[in-house]
Amino acid sequence: MDSHVDASTGNEVLLQLRDIVRTYEMGSELVHALCGISLDICRNEYVAVMGPSGSGKSTLMNIIGCLDIPTSGDYSLAGEKVADKNESELADIRNRLIGFVFQTFNLLPRANILHNVELPLIYGGIARAERRHRAEQALERVGLKDRLTHRPNELSGGQCQRVAIARALVRNPSIILADEPTGNLDSKTGDDIMGMLDDLHAGGQTVILVTHEDDVAAHAQRVLCLRDGQVESDVMNVDESVLRNARAG
Amino acid sequence: MRLLLDTGESFRIAVGAVMANKARGALTMLGIIIGIVAVTMTLAASNGMQQSFRQAAGSIGADVIYVSRMPWITINDFFTFRNRPNISLQEADKLVEAFAGVAVVNPTMSGRQPLKYRSQVLQDVTIVGTSEKMPIISGQVPEDGRFLLAFDVRFRKNVAIIGKDVADNLFPSADPINKTISIGRYRYRVIGVMEKQGGNTFGGPNLDMQVFIPITSFVKSFGGRRNTNVDVAVKAGSIAAMENLEYEIIGEMRRIRQLRPAEDDNFSINKLDSLMGAFNSVFGAVLGIGLLVTSIALIVGGIGVMNIMFVSVTERTREIGIRKAIGARRRSILMQFLFESTLICVLGGLLGIGLSMLLTLAVNAAGAFTASLSLGIMLSAVFVSALVGIIAGLVPAYKGANFAPIDALRYE
Repeated sequence: MDSHVDASTGNEVLLQLRDIVRTYEMGSELVHALCGISLDICRNEYVAVMGPSGSGKSTLMNIIGCLDIPTSGDYSLAGEKVADKNESELADIRNRLIGFVFQTFNLLPRANILHNVELPLIYGGIARAERRHRAEQALERVGLKDRLTHRPNELSGGQCQRVAIARALVRNPSIILADEPTGNLDSKTGDDIMGMLDDLHAGGQTVILVTHEDDVAAHAQRVLCLRDGQVESDVMNVDESVLRNARAG
Repeated sequence: MRLLLDTGESFRIAVGAVMANKARGALTMLGIIIGIVAVTMTLAASNGMQQSFRQAAGSIGADVIYVSRMPWITINDFFTFRNRPNISLQEADKLVEAFAGVAVVNPTMSGRQPLKYRSQVLQDVTIVGTSEKMPIISGQVPEDGRFLLAFDVRFRKNVAIIGKDVADNLFPSADPINKTISIGRYRYRVIGVMEKQGGNTFGGPNLDMQVFIPITSFVKSFGGRRNTNVDVAVKAGSIAAMENLEYEIIGEMRRIRQLRPAEDDNFSINKLDSLMGAFNSVFGAVLGIGLLVTSIALIVGGIGVMNIMFVSVTERTREIGIRKAIGARRRSILMQFLFESTLICVLGGLLGIGLSMLLTLAVNAAGAFTASLSLGIMLSAVFVSALVGIIAGLVPAYKGANFAPIDALRYE
């Protein structure tokens, strides 16, 4: 399956999940984190995944991000079947197709921010000159071009998260996967970061974010609610444009 | 290309990791340094001994066959040789005659006597009775004056050529040539001083503490009826000619001694070769044991590195998770930690080599024995320390490389 087209909208389907089940063994007990999730996400969609803790949203994100593989079910990402891949192929998919933005930023503390942003390019085998150029470009997009040699501990939380976004962007991934991106930030900085994700989406990027805050989810076009490992609701967010206009005004 | 970039990144991480924990790195390195110093010093000492042995053995001559009463090397059958007759000067003369025009034959006798010049006395100096042919056999020549002539030997002249150390001790300020010295109770005139020979390590004879006199004069002065055992040196001229010459010498000696075919030889044939062989086998065993013991230090150092690498991997679990999330493969993580352990060990190895160089200088300056640190030893020390690093890093690195990304990311 190379490219799929959503029947109703005519958009290209980027992620296709079918009957995804993920169970963990905790001692002798089996924990059902996901119990049969089926889902399509198209290119340039902006999806918020919500749900109470224990609903399975982190597990879903891990599976979408190819950090974890489902116990059963099919998952294909940009036409590639994830279940068939071995570990280094999965590492390669994460490198090429997915840009992660974590709640705790997850930058390397000892490396300067340029090196942090270069890292996906290093593991992607991009030559030094181009690597540097692209990393600088990505940092310019997030407004940190003048801080290249700073280390994460010399930056504010918001700046760290912007470095993380630059790192997520630098390989032009198919999807940006943001796990509670504003969770460790004050509301104003959080708004900045969300604005940045909005801009990325407006620029054609597919964005999936996990959150439990309604006002963060309000940025997305589509809100997916999980409960007990199943999709409880999957609705288009009609208020998105209204909210955005309100903020702009 | 990707492998190359991975390697560059791994190296960079390794340097960063070692630099970030300088004290820990230094202490871990200390174990490797001690191990490498122990091993290289063992090798350097053995190398030095081997060199000085060769130097000392050089005067024996590689193409010279010695006919003696005893073999040079007896392990535990000394008693079977004990009853052999001495080789007499008459027998030696017959050998000289038999090989006239074929090979250079030089008989020698030796004994210990006190030396005296005015108030200076040297006890227990080796007196060698020999012929004018000795320089051809051993390559030892006088640096001052002259060696024996055939004339001195034929007419039993009381003339002596003294070793360099004898000259320095007996004549601290005067020129020894033409001075008269006492050897035992007899007066000899010094006609030459030998070149410095050196190479008197590990209890070997000091070649510079010898006095050479005509063998005929030796018999006249010191040759009791019983105490006249002659060693005969026969120079083959080339290594290739030695085998045939050896058989001819054995045949000639048996004829001189009128041995019946069923009787064993009652004399021995000695060569540098057999001495070297015995030396090498004993030496090899000693070196082997030395290396075995010292390599324990290196192994302990390696275990220290392994231990620290486990700590390093655990501390950096989260970092491993981050790296994996953004696309590092298992191999990249493996290499990152292997580089770190190898870097620690190679740095330790280089410091150890530096320290060994200083120790070698100190040991040689102290003069107890000579140590010699060759380029080969240093290169193998670097190689061995890298190998220790790889082996010590393998298990921890493998552990780190196999962390599941989600678990590693969650690690606090």
